[in-house]
Amino acid sequence: MIYFRSILLSLIGLLSFSIFAETQDILIKNAKVITSSELGVLDQTDILIQNGKISLIDKNINNNDAIIIEANGRIVTAGLLAPVTNLGLIEIELEAETRDDRTDHFSAGFSISSAFNPSSTLIPYNRASGITSAIVFPSSGRGDIFSGLGSVFKTHGEINTKSVATDIAMVMQMGGNRDSRASNFLELEDAFLKAKQFKKSRGMIERGGFFDTGEYSRRDLEALLGLMEEGKPLIIKTNRASDMLRMIEFSKEYELNIIFHGAKEAWRITDQLVEANIPVIIDPMDNIPSSFDSIGARIDTASLLTESGVSVLIGIADAHNSFLSRQGAGNAVANGMDQYEAIKALTINIADAFGLDDSIGSIEIGKNADVVLWDGDPLEVMTFADVVIIDGKITSEMTRSKRLRDRYLEVIGLK
Amino acid sequence: MIFDSKYSSLIIALVLIHFVVPNAQSQTNEKELINYAYESTYKPELSNKIIIKNANILTGNGDSILDASILMHENQIIAVGKDLDSSDASVIDAEGKWVTPGIIDIHSHMGVYPAPSLRSNSDGNEATSPTTPHVWAEHSVWTQDPQYTLALKGGITSFHVLVGSANLIGGRGVTLKNVRSRTVQGMKFPNAPYSLKMACGENPKRVYGGRNSEPSTRMGNVAGYRNAWIEAQEYQRSLKEYADTPDDEKEISDRPSRDLGLETMIGVLEGEILVQMHCYRGEEMVVMLDVAKEFDYKITTFHHAIEAYKVADILAQNSVCAAMWADWWGFKNEAFDMVWENTAIVDQAEDKTGCAIVHSDSAVDIQRLNQQAAKALAAGQKAGLDIDKGRAIQWITLNPAIALGIGDQVGSIEPGKMADLVIWSHDPFSVYSRAEKVFIDGHLKFDIDDPESFERTDFDLGIIDPEGDRL
Repeated sequence: MIYFRSILLSLIGLLSFSIFAETQDILIKNAKVITSSELGVLDQTDILIQNGKISLIDKNINNNDAIIIEANGRIVTAGLLAPVTNLGLIEIELEAETRDDRTDHFSAGFSISSAFNPSSTLIPYNRASGITSAIVFPSSGRGDIFSGLGSVFKTHGEINTKSVATDIAMVMQMGGNRDSRASNFLELEDAFLKAKQFKKSRGMIERGGFFDTGEYSRRDLEALLGLMEEGKPLIIKTNRASDMLRMIEFSKEYELNIIFHGAKEAWRITDQLVEANIPVIIDPMDNIPSSFDSIGARIDTASLLTESGVSVLIGIADAHNSFLSRQGAGNAVANGMDQYEAIKALTINIADAFGLDDSIGSIEIGKNADVVLWDGDPLEVMTFADVVIIDGKITSEMTRSKRLRDRYLEVIGLK
Repeated sequence: MIFDSKYSSLIIALVLIHFVVPNAQSQTNEKELINYAYESTYKPELSNKIIIKNANILTGNGDSILDASILMHENQIIAVGKDLDSSDASVIDAEGKWVTPGIIDIHSHMGVYPAPSLRSNSDGNEATSPTTPHVWAEHSVWTQDPQYTLALKGGITSFHVLVGSANLIGGRGVTLKNVRSRTVQGMKFPNAPYSLKMACGENPKRVYGGRNSEPSTRMGNVAGYRNAWIEAQEYQRSLKEYADTPDDEKEISDRPSRDLGLETMIGVLEGEILVQMHCYRGEEMVVMLDVAKEFDYKITTFHHAIEAYKVADILAQNSVCAAMWADWWGFKNEAFDMVWENTAIVDQAEDKTGCAIVHSDSAVDIQRLNQQAAKALAAGQKAGLDIDKGRAIQWITLNPAIALGIGDQVGSIEPGKMADLVIWSHDPFSVYSRAEKVFIDGHLKFDIDDPESFERTDFDLGIIDPEGDRL
């Protein structure tokens, strides 16, 4: 009975919520707006949100129809992006049937877009902490190199969530494993050569001719062509400086648009990264020399890269706590990174690297109204998100975790 | 000739047994000898007189003292307060910065799971049998793990190295000071009690169930602990019986032979070895309290304790601590019901008599245990619980010290305690705060402004560039 009532209440809550959120304009008053754009930081500024977009950023905006959110000088940032995450693909890591981030069947062409679960408990949890978009990638595919293709999802959690951009980039790894990395490089080269042959043979294949796709499927080869022909980014998970240099050479030869991920030794090759204009995704807190590929791991990598002119993207490997990228950014600042650059590393730098910067990643007129109002400095560990808006709708701050908290505060007699 | 030699070796054996086998009196001596053989050899040089002035102090006793001084001499804290006599002391001006006790991590695998994580260095889990109380973590510790230095830079002055959680009864843990030494004995916290690591839940049943052997269920786990304790009690009884036999009635053959594992378990039954138990679920913790009741031993701390908040009142009533993360969850099913307020709820339960600890279990998070405590504090405050920073700092100082049996020596800034201190660049509950100066036993072991202030591990030397150091 109690359960039934609480379900009913939450249903009513959901309905009424979406009804008013659907139709209303929102006006955020008197915020300190960290725009992540060339506008920089705007004090005492209002943001008007209409039809899911940011329609005006100015002082003293008036709008009688809008829901007013009085910021009272609190900070507003663009919604945070999780750059490489399993969010929506994974519920409990050790329970295989709750995971859709791995396959033994496909490699480069493993597209995860159909597996995204908008009702995952991880989604409201990370949303309530400021993550509004997730760039969701698989963890591993068939073979040692390619993991597959990633897609972008908003975290509003609506049951009919579709990717806002599908198969936008590929992820692969390079580095020490059972096989020689030299062999991995040869295999990589062979895969791209095969994709090129496949392209040339398309006409022949359509006429019914036979093409041996080798160890790859047609999907895998199409995906590799997507990198070469459409310039989709290839994310390379790798740590050793010399591996990154080889991959830079490779990317030039095949005209690939690459992003390094992990990249613990990236600080050793900043000149080459700048010259080739390669963004780097890092977890600034992970300074452990966890393998011989990452001996050079250090705590100030974010600062060293940013100061050299490398575009830094901050992301956390753990999907459950994707939002801890904020703490990562805070630690990057503690170790020398510029504060504004750190906010950009959570927002626009990510959107930019994945070609999403015309719609998300900063507070600018015309962009999606994905914004977060914070109760303090967003990089501080004691700060919470007060209001999270996605596509112009105020989202619920409730999470399963908070429900458990509320129940047991009573059970233990603290409420 | 052959006969002779056989015979003589028998005689030698008998003589040896007679010589080695102790009587009731010398049994204690043997026990002392065993402990002596493995005891700490860490003896810091006597430190000079140092006064830290203009400090805001979170004492670890629950108090904050603003604008005060701390006087240290000969490895100890001598005085805390205003207007201290600082004659012949060298002066460190804290310039209004925060000073806390050295940070203590009650759950670390540094040294037994060192970096880099190589198969050859993976020494934390003797996962070959579900009950291995005979192994000691210290015999796996690699003294040159580069992670120690990273932790030092995060203010860690002592840490407890546990064996892993594959086994129901995993083995002895050891408390180390975060000092560099060629030997593990040179790192051991002097006279700290040993711990016994035990584990609930998914890990043991997964490891052994996966091999189609017992335990494969939680009830199999519990049967496993109980059988092990029954055996320990039997052994204890036979030892006592032998000890109680008058000397002239003692037969060599009656003497129970030594058993490493059971010796450790008897240490628990006699209250000398502290049980540190990996346990996630609320109901499992309470079942374990019953097992402890059945065999009359004490569980000191439940580690990880994702659901401690569900039974926080029961933990407080039984004076059992919970060591928790701020926000880890979902990596396995028993970690699914995480709440950020876990630490705060445990702390506040039963009229604020709970014992809450924030632990790392991670070489990344051990470098910022202050931030983990800050997150736990923020969640508690937001939930309306009345906790201040003076109390929250205890989660990473005094409370772990008490739970490790070293609370009389470290964990708070008060006269007579070891001079283990951290001067922070900012409020230690801020993400921007860094440990600027770290003192261990009155010696400056890390100074953020002096790259020569800390000792590199062997691993860090010349490994990227033969001319330089890794850090």
